[in-house]
Order: sequence, then C-alpha cells, then structure tokens
Amino acid sequence: MAELVRVAGYSTVGLTLPTGLMPEKVARIRRFFRDAGIDTAMRVDLAPTSRNELLRFLRRFRNLYDVVSVKCMNQHVSIVACRDRRVDLVFFDPANRKVRFSNSLANLLRGALEFNIAATLQANESETLSRMSRDAAIAEQEKVPVVLSSGSTSAFMVRAPSQLAALGSLIGLSTERSYRSVSEVPWMIVSKNADRKSKEYVEEGVRVATPSAR
Amino acid sequence: MHMARRYFRVRIASEGPLLADQFGAAVTDVVRRYFGEVGLVRIEPRMIKFDAQRSEAVFACRRDAASQFEAALALLSHVYDAGVAPIVVGISGTIKGLRRKK
Repeated sequence: MAELVRVAGYSTVGLTLPTGLMPEKVARIRRFFRDAGIDTAMRVDLAPTSRNELLRFLRRFRNLYDVVSVKCMNQHVSIVACRDRRVDLVFFDPANRKVRFSNSLANLLRGALEFNIAATLQANESETLSRMSRDAAIAEQEKVPVVLSSGSTSAFMVRAPSQLAALGSLIGLSTERSYRSVSEVPWMIVSKNADRKSKEYVEEGVRVATPSAR
Repeated sequence: MHMARRYFRVRIASEGPLLADQFGAAVTDVVRRYFGEVGLVRIEPRMIKFDAQRSEAVFACRRDAASQFEAALALLSHVYDAGVAPIVVGISGTIKGLRRKK
C-alpha cells in the first residue's frame, strides 16, 4: 500500500490506527511508510455518541495525535465538534440520515469539513454523491475549508490527489478549491498541529522567544 | 473537425490478472453509470494502450471533459467482483508528452 501511495504522488499521509495499538507496532507501520519515502501524520477518528463522550475523547486523545477527526453521529455531537477548536476535521456520514451539514454548523465550524471518497465507493453511490453535493454547496457558500480524503482501508481504495480533486469538482467544488482541499488545507492542519506540539508554543499567537546569539 | 484530447497514464492495482478488454469495458461502464449515455459521448473515453506486465494503461478523452473522466476513474473500484485501483500517474495533451513524463 505504501508503494501505491508513493506512485499516486503523495508525500504525506494521515494514518488512522486503532487507539489501543502497541507503540512498537505503530512505529513499525510508520517506518514501513518512511522506507517508501512517505511521511506520516497520526490521525484519530472519533465517533462519539454524546457531547460528554466527545469532550472526554478530546481530553484523552488531542495531545497524542497529529490530526483529530470527528464523525458526527448526531446533532448534539456535531454542534460541539464544529465549535471546539481541538477538532481538526468533521465528517458527516452520508448514510446517516439523523444528522446533516447545515449553514448554521458551517458558521460554527473552526476546523475543516472532510469528504471521504471511501463512502462513495462503498455505499449507495447516487444518494451519497447527492448528499456530498449538497454539503459541498453549503461549504462553498459559507467558505468553509474542505479536505478531500481517500479514506483508504485497502490498497484498492488509493486514488491520486488529482483524482480526488476531480471528484471534488464533480460534487460542486470549484477547481481551485478542489486542488486546495487535497494539498494546502490538509498540509496546513498537519503543520499547525506540529507547531502546537513544539516546545516554544504557548498558545495561538504566543511563542517563547529564545534569545538569539549576538 | 479536430477534437483536442487529454491523455492519461493509469497505473492499475488489481486483485487478479486483468484483460485489456475487461478493463476498457469497465471504464466505459463506469463513465456511463455516472454520466449517462450523453456524458459518455461527451467524454468519449478510449483506451489507447494496455500493458498487462507493467499494469499500466493509456486512456484518451476529450479535453473539456478531462476532469469528469478522471473522477469516473476514481469511482471505478471493481472489475468483475475483483478489487481494482486505477491511479492516474500522468496527464498530458499528447501521447509523446505522456511518454516524456515517465
């Protein structure tokens, strides 16, 4: 899979691994990708069923992972996930009819909205694409940052960034926005979180300045 | 009238061995499925080359529908129940240019 990811033209991938996995195994998987010339960003996909569960997960996992993504299972969770700045990505399952992305959620959103191509390949395509188009139209309208990801669970779900961007155009994102959503936006999330983890970081806009040598 | 075209070099990862005809038909089917008969005529996908040993194929489509063809390729996940991943590794306006990009 790492080889295929490299052939597809990626330099960094977000790896979603089970939260209970042994650190040695995680290191081995990351080394596997590094040997193929690909950087990895550790990502956790949270699927809480309540507001309190989400807050508990965020307290526990935020500092352990480079990217935190929340699958919005219901309206309560989606409101908190959109508002909380610890959340990098929110994802709405197109098969879940209980919750949908709306203009009010777009206004609350501090992270980015994620579209997952794996959902398109697995579920009822026409319905999934129509829901994604509707969400994309809201994202365009409200100028919400969008991330297009392959959501690959196997090598057969890997697609090139340009293909993901083409899918973005298909669901109604502008060409420029589609390309940004597979390059600039995910890169900004990863680099911002790497910056947050650095020793000099205090809070947004505040850093410890080391005295320069004179 | 000359129709400007785009050429795609596609790397194919598949669960089993693939035949050129099977893969070409699968690509035509996926374009038809998502864009309909009119879309198929507008996109006009055509397989130019298929190299089973290197698991690569070269496709052509109309230039103004290149993005739609690329999206259709992204949506192709199975050929006769076998998992398949067509990954676009190069795009060019000429076949010669595609060869140069290798």
